[in-house]
Amino acid sequence: MKKLCKNAAIMVGVVLLTYALGFLLRDVFDVWEHITTAFVFAVFLVALLTDGYVWGILSTFSAVLLINYAFTYPYFDVNFSATESLFSAAVMMVIALLTSGITTQLKRWKTLKAEGEMERMRANLLRAVSHDLRTPLTTIYGASSSILENYDKLTDTQKTRMIGGIQEDADWLIRMVENLLSITRIDSGNVKLIKTPIVLDELIDAVLLKFKKRYPAQTVTLDLPDTVIVIPMDALLIEQVIVNMLENVMHHAKDFTTLTLRVKMQDGWAVFEIEDDGCGIAKERMEHLFTGFNAAAADKADVHKRNAGIGLSVCATIIKAHGGTVCAENRKTGGALFRFKLETDEAENHE
Amino acid sequence: MNNNKYKILLVEDEANILTFVGDLLESNEYQVIKAESCTEAETLYASYLPDLVILDLGLPDRDGTEFLRGLRQRGELAPVLVLSARSDEAEKVRALDLGANDYITKPFGSAELLARIRSSLRFMRHSADAGKLPGGIFQIGDLSIHYDARRIYVGSEEIKLTQTEYNIVVFLSEHSGKVMTYSSIIKAVWREPTNENSIKKLQVNMANIRKKFGVKPGEFSYIVNELGVGYRMDG
Repeated sequence: MKKLCKNAAIMVGVVLLTYALGFLLRDVFDVWEHITTAFVFAVFLVALLTDGYVWGILSTFSAVLLINYAFTYPYFDVNFSATESLFSAAVMMVIALLTSGITTQLKRWKTLKAEGEMERMRANLLRAVSHDLRTPLTTIYGASSSILENYDKLTDTQKTRMIGGIQEDADWLIRMVENLLSITRIDSGNVKLIKTPIVLDELIDAVLLKFKKRYPAQTVTLDLPDTVIVIPMDALLIEQVIVNMLENVMHHAKDFTTLTLRVKMQDGWAVFEIEDDGCGIAKERMEHLFTGFNAAAADKADVHKRNAGIGLSVCATIIKAHGGTVCAENRKTGGALFRFKLETDEAENHE
Repeated sequence: MNNNKYKILLVEDEANILTFVGDLLESNEYQVIKAESCTEAETLYASYLPDLVILDLGLPDRDGTEFLRGLRQRGELAPVLVLSARSDEAEKVRALDLGANDYITKPFGSAELLARIRSSLRFMRHSADAGKLPGGIFQIGDLSIHYDARRIYVGSEEIKLTQTEYNIVVFLSEHSGKVMTYSSIIKAVWREPTNENSIKKLQVNMANIRKKFGVKPGEFSYIVNELGVGYRMDG
């Protein structure tokens, strides 16, 4: 419905403007011969800016009628005796059809490209993740079988340490699987996200409860708007985005003292910012930050470093699927800042 | 001795989970009855009348929600704690609307499970004590609700709520320990069908309640929000 109105408005607007231009050309500049050219251009514009073929064809008909009515003899009367008007009508029709055809194909190609990009991203993630799953499984399997088979030989301290290792790596696996589930929830591009209206305060509340469970000692400084803000979203996924970004700070920002979570409103969009005053993001990481895992890092032995690259790619995938944007930068005062934007209900009402 | 223990019916078909949860509960002084299918659960429920049921939804013979539905249809009030493998709101809401008290998503830690069990058992005691009788006072932590006077205090300080806000808090208190879905609250407070508008109205009211209680996001509060599902009052 919205699309229909938009297309109709474009067509009527362009044709009427050209109609007015026609009078201007005739009465002020006295250049008759270019009036038809102006209408041909108008038809081209309509075909380019609207969806499908219908609007281009409609604009052709209205252009022919208007030219015939106002700019050919007899004036202000519709009369199809002159063959030249039929000729220009045919030209306009061909232009309309060709242009609409090209634009439609261009649009289809663009969606295909976006889907392909999504697909490549997911493939990258899967490869990185399945590679990474083996390390924690080694600990879990190895430690548990050691304890079972050598129960009497091991001291209590050794056993506790091994069980601790099992728990730590299982915890890592849980987070990895949560990320994987998020990706499958977005699914193969065809399935639309199910967005429900979520109150910002409740979202942040849920995020912080989850985060505090994992990092009880870390305080998060909050900077939120006072008003009640409702954002349509898949709450589980956005919760995951913020938790991932906070955890990313915990893993990668060295020597930071404050961790801030800020949300502000900007033209109907909610802008989320997660910033720290740590070491910032290294230049060579910046490029690959959101685009899947970093090949150089994947070769290193340190498992827990790698997981963050996946976390951020998941963030980017989720935000993209929500129609938002995500970016990262180094702050002038030191430290890193991650920012993403989501459209709020307000923005929808404004349209 | 055995009589003082709470009886918990544990319905789960994964042998490893059954073992570890069973051992955990027994070491925490609960009496555990184990069932691995819906049918077995129904038989064991009838003969033991447990104080609480821990229910996995994916059972071999039938869906766990059927056991839940049957239980509530027969008017059995024992709290049911659902183990849900999928982090799917729709499934949680369905189980809660069928009469489950709470859910816990797999994988879960032992501390979390024990906390939920304690909270659900407290809910049952509270209902039994009939806190909502005339003159009744509801109390968890520093929060007290004087039903007759329609007043709410945190410590000695009174919290001034609007009529609607008060009704919401009271409704949650009457079901404390239980997750109340958006639709169940909307039905009780406004007698309206659930749609985007009524959910928004509820969310705005809750935001104001939180503000009046002076809680900030991420801090412990008496009302826990279950994102996209509902709210729960908890002590």
